[in-house]
Amino acid sequence: MIAEAKPNRTFFNPSLLQNWLNRVGPALGLLLVIGIFTLLMDTPSRFLSPNNLRIVLSQTVIVAIGAIGMTMIIISGGIDLAVGSTIALTGVVTALGINAGMSPSLALALGIAVGGLVGIINGFVVTRLKVVPFIATLGMLGIGRGVAKWLANQQTVNMPGTWLNELLVMFPNPAWLLVAPGVWITIVLAVVAAIVLRRTVFGRRVFALGSNEAAARACGIATDRLKIWIYGLAGLLFGLAGVMQMSRLRQGDPTVAAGSELDIIAAVVIGGGSLNGGEGSILGSMIGALIMAFLRNGCQQVGWPNYVQEIIIGAIIVIAVAIDRWRTARAVA
Amino acid sequence: MRKILFLLALSMFLVGCTAATNDKKKLTIAVIPKGTTHEFWKSIHAGSNKAAEELKAQGTEIEVIWKGPLREDDREQQIQVVEGFAAQGVSGIVLAPLDNRALVRPVSDAKRAGVPTVIIDSGLESDEFVSFVATDNRKGGSLAADRMGQLLNGKGKVLVLRYAEGSASTTERESGFIDQIKAKFPEIELVSTDQYAGATRDTAKRAAENLLNRFGDEVQGIFTPNESSTAGMLLALQDIGKAGKVSFVGFDVSQTFIDAMNAGQLHGIVVQNPFNMGYLGVKTMVENLLGRSVEKKIDTGVMLVTKENMESPDVKTLLHPPLDQYLK
Repeated sequence: MIAEAKPNRTFFNPSLLQNWLNRVGPALGLLLVIGIFTLLMDTPSRFLSPNNLRIVLSQTVIVAIGAIGMTMIIISGGIDLAVGSTIALTGVVTALGINAGMSPSLALALGIAVGGLVGIINGFVVTRLKVVPFIATLGMLGIGRGVAKWLANQQTVNMPGTWLNELLVMFPNPAWLLVAPGVWITIVLAVVAAIVLRRTVFGRRVFALGSNEAAARACGIATDRLKIWIYGLAGLLFGLAGVMQMSRLRQGDPTVAAGSELDIIAAVVIGGGSLNGGEGSILGSMIGALIMAFLRNGCQQVGWPNYVQEIIIGAIIVIAVAIDRWRTARAVA
Repeated sequence: MRKILFLLALSMFLVGCTAATNDKKKLTIAVIPKGTTHEFWKSIHAGSNKAAEELKAQGTEIEVIWKGPLREDDREQQIQVVEGFAAQGVSGIVLAPLDNRALVRPVSDAKRAGVPTVIIDSGLESDEFVSFVATDNRKGGSLAADRMGQLLNGKGKVLVLRYAEGSASTTERESGFIDQIKAKFPEIELVSTDQYAGATRDTAKRAAENLLNRFGDEVQGIFTPNESSTAGMLLALQDIGKAGKVSFVGFDVSQTFIDAMNAGQLHGIVVQNPFNMGYLGVKTMVENLLGRSVEKKIDTGVMLVTKENMESPDVKTLLHPPLDQYLK
């Protein structure tokens, strides 16, 4: 019977162990970071308090939502450097929408849609104009930022308060939510994205595209159309991240989030994503984002200057990838 | 080779611009702020436009060009703006330097190219400028310290969230505050004075959240030295429901701060007079260009605004400079 053709599993299957290590590696890193800061802190109870957890989670949301989209792009073998600009642009657009009298939900939809549009344009430039993703999105980095400043009239856009401003508050209303609504939105999106990537045809095709594009095409995958879809979907997420940024600042700021694309890429890479494509996981990227937020939070509370934190994050990126390479090399051998 | 051709084309273009601007013997003054997104800079812009309008009415042909880097911490971009104007051959530059050292070379290069500079807002470690037109920041910081001492009745724990590394004006405010607290209120303890808010509201909010988690329960007073750090701290306090429960003294002004003072969440702001700064900056430059002697240092005034004195006419014009009248 076909049902009996299960894969052979022994108790100490090395590849299973490998797989397990791959999954928990970033989580161990996160625990290590939290543990070290707890030891360094003169008030550890405050560092581990629910309130501090709320703070860190709220601070992680923007990078985390961006990292969900970036994970898809990186698995497919692409890259998007325009995330920071997209976040600024969509935040400004949403604020302008509210000022123009739109309902908050409509403004939210507009912000997300503009993010999607930017992504689709990136996809078209990559596939139709044959510009490599690094350059295409480098161009968009400048264009998006410029358009944001232009639309915002080179100033921050203040708008009347709406429920959009409550997305990332520390003490949510109703209180049984425990953490900000934006944190729950991020968790739901991460779960959905993880299922889509692991369990659907679309997800398998994304992995196939990143592992070997020529082979994927030979197997009948319409790679160009798939890429446009990936950049477009990721763009929607970047748009949502932009709305979150606006919610945090209670204003649309065209200069915000410069350089956050590097934070987002770092989160994906710390979480096991490979810039060669074909590797990466949503869970890993979320943990990567948390590691960076905890580092920033911890350094500040211990009282270390900013440069220490920058050096540590830099070192962690390199170490995370080095360990990953080392494991892969052993797995091959 | 391509690069050389490009540079050649670019320089011809720039020469073209210069020729165009110098045609009518009109004074062109470039005003270069640290950024353009803060409300503070809009007031400077309005003040410099007012000076231009007055001078025009007196028969001086003058054009004020307003151009700055968009982010408040992009020194490289600001250097390029200064160099660009010097090359373009404007009559004079009014500059708010982002850094007290990084902008020294471009300013002295401009001087050598025959373009004098008036420094506004923030100091420059050089003597190659015409005049320094600014707030007495030390005094501003000590005004804030006096207010804090009064609010806390001379004892308690106070947190200072600094603005950014290398910014002279805010460093003066911070040390003015700290020195005055130490000298006048020995029973006030400063619990954290070495963390920085960074350039934007976003970075300031993040730093404030982290610090408040650590020190929030023990401090009775908070001081922040500029608009973005005050805004970030205010957002963080509002989010955790602590706004109004600690004595909070900030610096600079915006509508949000006025609302927060009315709501009892902010207990004093030290307000500079950016409108006057922009106005005197341009005026001083023109005086100098017309060959009259000017003071090397000009104080544009600073005062403490609280809920109590907010409605007095002096403070009202200070809080609501006639922006709409001078900014189209």
